[in-house]
Amino acid sequence: MPRPFSAVGKSVPRYDLPQKLSGEALYAADIQLPGMLVGKIARSPHPHARILSVDAAAALRAPGVRAVLTSFDAPDGRIAPDLPILDAEVRFVGDEVAAVAAADEYAAVRAAAMLQVRYETLPFVTDARAAMRPGAPPVHPGGNLVGGKPITLARGDVDEGFAQADRVFEMRFTTPAHAGAALEPRAAVAKWDGDRLTIWKSTRGAHADRLNLSLALGVDRSLIRIIGATMGAGYGTKDETRLSVIAAVLARRAGSPVKIEAARAEEFVAGRKRHSTETAVKIGAANDGRITAIHATTIMDTGAYLSSGPGVVRRAGQAALYLYRCPNVRYDGYLVYTNQPSGGSYRALGAPQGHFALEVAMNRVADELGIDPLDFRLMNHVGIEGQEGERITPPDEIIDTQPVEGGVPFSSNGLRQCLDQGAEAFGWRDRHSPPSQRRQDAGGDGGANANADGGADDNAANSAAAVNIDADGGPDSVNTAAATNSVNADNDDDGLRRGSGMCMFIYRGGPGGKSAARLALNPDGSVQLSAGLMDVGEGSATVIAQIAAEALGVPYEAIRVAFGDTAHTPDAPLTAGSTATFSTGSAAVKAASELKAAILRAAAPRLNADAHSLDIADGQITRADGGPSVPLTELAARLTADAQPLPQAEASVTPGSKDYIVNSFGAHFVEVEVDTITGQVRVLRYLAAHDSGRILNPRLATNQVEGGVSQMLGFTLSEQMLTDPISGVTLNANFLEHKAPTIMEYPPIETLFVDVADPIGPFGAKALGEPPSIGPAPAIINAIHDAVGVRVQDLPATPDKILDALDALDAANQAPE
Amino acid sequence: MHDFEFAPADSAKHAVDLLSARGSSARVIAGGTDLLGEIKEGVVAPDTLISLHRVAEMRSIAQDADGIRIGAMATVADIAAHPAVRAEHAALAQAAAAVATPQIRNVGTLGGNLCQRPRCWYYRNPAFPDCRKRGGSQCYAHGGMNKFHAIFGGDICPSVHPSDTATALSALAATVTIAGPNGERRIPIDDFFTPPEANVLAENALRHGEIVASATIPAAPAPRRRRSVFLKAKERQAMDFALASVALAIDIDADAAAPAAVISSARMTLGGVAPVPMRARAAESALAGKRPADIDAAAIGQLAIQGARPLSANRYKARLTAGIAARAVRTLLKAAAAP
Repeated sequence: MPRPFSAVGKSVPRYDLPQKLSGEALYAADIQLPGMLVGKIARSPHPHARILSVDAAAALRAPGVRAVLTSFDAPDGRIAPDLPILDAEVRFVGDEVAAVAAADEYAAVRAAAMLQVRYETLPFVTDARAAMRPGAPPVHPGGNLVGGKPITLARGDVDEGFAQADRVFEMRFTTPAHAGAALEPRAAVAKWDGDRLTIWKSTRGAHADRLNLSLALGVDRSLIRIIGATMGAGYGTKDETRLSVIAAVLARRAGSPVKIEAARAEEFVAGRKRHSTETAVKIGAANDGRITAIHATTIMDTGAYLSSGPGVVRRAGQAALYLYRCPNVRYDGYLVYTNQPSGGSYRALGAPQGHFALEVAMNRVADELGIDPLDFRLMNHVGIEGQEGERITPPDEIIDTQPVEGGVPFSSNGLRQCLDQGAEAFGWRDRHSPPSQRRQDAGGDGGANANADGGADDNAANSAAAVNIDADGGPDSVNTAAATNSVNADNDDDGLRRGSGMCMFIYRGGPGGKSAARLALNPDGSVQLSAGLMDVGEGSATVIAQIAAEALGVPYEAIRVAFGDTAHTPDAPLTAGSTATFSTGSAAVKAASELKAAILRAAAPRLNADAHSLDIADGQITRADGGPSVPLTELAARLTADAQPLPQAEASVTPGSKDYIVNSFGAHFVEVEVDTITGQVRVLRYLAAHDSGRILNPRLATNQVEGGVSQMLGFTLSEQMLTDPISGVTLNANFLEHKAPTIMEYPPIETLFVDVADPIGPFGAKALGEPPSIGPAPAIINAIHDAVGVRVQDLPATPDKILDALDALDAANQAPE
Repeated sequence: MHDFEFAPADSAKHAVDLLSARGSSARVIAGGTDLLGEIKEGVVAPDTLISLHRVAEMRSIAQDADGIRIGAMATVADIAAHPAVRAEHAALAQAAAAVATPQIRNVGTLGGNLCQRPRCWYYRNPAFPDCRKRGGSQCYAHGGMNKFHAIFGGDICPSVHPSDTATALSALAATVTIAGPNGERRIPIDDFFTPPEANVLAENALRHGEIVASATIPAAPAPRRRRSVFLKAKERQAMDFALASVALAIDIDADAAAPAAVISSARMTLGGVAPVPMRARAAESALAGKRPADIDAAAIGQLAIQGARPLSANRYKARLTAGIAARAVRTLLKAAAAP
């Protein structure tokens, strides 16, 4: 029997918690350097234009102004294939035109406004469908459909599958552009010492940024140091480097360090956002509930630049391709340039959009077949054996984290446990029983809102009635459900209706790219853990320190953490795709095992013992012969006193499996209350069941789930970036109108981990950071349908859409049979 | 951000004098929650800000036989918490409590809330300089994104008046006292707000050199038989303007439980649906003189939206307004029936 864990599985506090709580932690914008200038960017007022000239004479004469950078004098390098340092063509309202560096913020803002820019406006297009039409204005040379054709991923034969189906269902969905709205806007500070460049920035990949800056600036990597500052949230949206490249060029030109911090409106418009999508789903099913074919087609608007669009459009197909056991699947993904602000990486990369469409459509299939949505999923979800079919990947090759092919099993698959345990904890089976008999009942109203009686508490859930306003008019089970579900009577009808919804999901995360960790015994007996990875605020550095402590046999407190500074850490991939714990954690396990061997080799002669008879536990070197243990502190002190080298080890791994697919799973359950008078949806309670392997830090893991769910409440119910189609101007680049939920909207969130240890992941862990953001949209939209009989197919489900749908429903119900 | 001189006033009269002396490039600042945003957004560029923060006399909320007088510098939070306001004019207390966020309510004032500028996102964005409300010649919302705009009276400018307290004060038949170079004048609140047809550049009747001094809610004929309510529909529970709001105040001529009791008067005002807080007079007429038991709340709601002309993206506001108007009626009838 393995010994119990001592460091993993415990909710140790984040290693940087004291610094964050005390305000000592330095975010990029906190960096102050002697003589530092402030940079400001002049942005395009046009959605598409050619810059004819920039007259900077007046700006340069203004007090405090030290440097100006325009596309006409910027270095030639490129930040991405479609993104020069500054371009003479601008492609969305807010695109970077020029930059200034001045003594202070006000001087910089004024100088940026004093630049005289002459534009030749060009035709523009803000809609992805329109952008694909022949003759549409080209956003970049080579056509607006990226790659000239959609990506197509398929298994089996969907035509054959639809031919076998008793029923075929087709639905169309849209999701809006959605800003990550991190509390900390992007920021970068650039400083030159001769030919050496140091950059402090908000980043999710210091090493990736260094490579990127090196290519853009034509400066050798060895001369660039990136210091990943404390992050005020990552969400994936901070993977662009244009801001820091501009800061570096300005700093070189001015001969002084330069800081650029995005203002809030800039963060909204010129940061990266979740891509807006349109998805058509076609599902073939047999009358017994078996799924015979799934075909999903997504049109995704990448905006003015590609950024990580190709990866995002691919992931939008994950649900359709892999969530349900189905031999015939096909996904077509169209990635399209438009003159909109740029899309990019944002928590779960396309998976929320794809799952929203598929999981709402699946609920309709279940409803119309007269099957409970939970039973339908229990019947059809993908199992541990993976999909049917032939394995195509060669036997000695690492399996893609989600191959399209069949015939490859999962390393672990806790989806069934998520469905079973989640349903049980939520009380899914008795969700339509009267509130008094329910396992949990939400509290009453508060505040002077239109859905409460003038602020008075009036718990609506006490009366029972049968007002059937179900739209689909499907088989009996659906109507029965709606009838027993309506909780309010008409005389005193307060218009409030409750309903429950659920969904399930799959996420390809975990293994990730080649990753490294370095461990070294310090003179004081502590252990230095160095990794190039960025902890973007999720706590990966803490969890990886727990992993290192566990693997080495020392307490968590004995590990000192140094992450994300390229000067002191081995190369690392981005903190992306929920891979950090898995990949750098796997490297930490290997490095710990090597360090342990090195420590024991160093200790053996001093203890007159064979290294193989020694072990490390709880920070002590223990002896198999029962002799006295020796603390690591003592060994370190003795080695230091004897001027002997202290043991260290560095390991690099390419994580993954040659035999298995490593994926995470989950199922979400939610109860909502819809106010049929105001159209407002209130989430009453939320249950998130997750299979992310063994949970290494329950508190941090729960944080991730609560954060993901809360964030996507906004995507589901209130948040969207709105661009005026006539001018291309973003109308709501602020927190007032890009309506992120407030604490008033957050429901109680119950998190449940099914804790199935994965055989591949470090100490059994799998991906967790992104999966929680997948469930809210489909679960809530399904719950709204349960409550009032309307299926919202265009997010966010704001009151206007609910009310318009209820109007249509009333009209349909009043129409003669 | 435009540079300005900060000029604190010592009294209302001092403020009026400063305002008259500095001309049209001066603005009065109270809590600043709206004005500073406007300056940052480049919507206005005043050279002088005349601050009322030192004027203690304007902060008071005082009650006498005639009613409750609320100084223009009383904060929105003060109003929401005031015992007499809560007891006698629930609609105003509820409206104040529904404003923005606790932080904004703590510094935002009654005067500022009444005089705040519209939230139309075309008006607020410097990218649309030809907006009529900015002195230009067109309306971008009419052919653009108008989900939050007016369903009544929006031909010239469909931006809606954003004030919650104004909607409640209108239903409560308040008057506004204005201080100006020639002393004070007092007008009904419904005359204080002016439609775009009168002057698209302003939303109220303040003349040059004038400031709001206070608002007065007249005492109800029988305070125990006055009922009022304010309901606000929004997209999120805090930090949001009304998609639509309704304030309703009714007086009942006898104990409501008495079989012969009738509604002696009713005032209903709609917010978030018109360029001014808008009285729903057809709904009021249908309520007045009726016995509570005879009232069809849904029909009253429909009367409230008589004449509504939604734009391309705000048809929902008609259903919403009718719904919350009916809900307000039901709420008050229920409250009136309660002992």
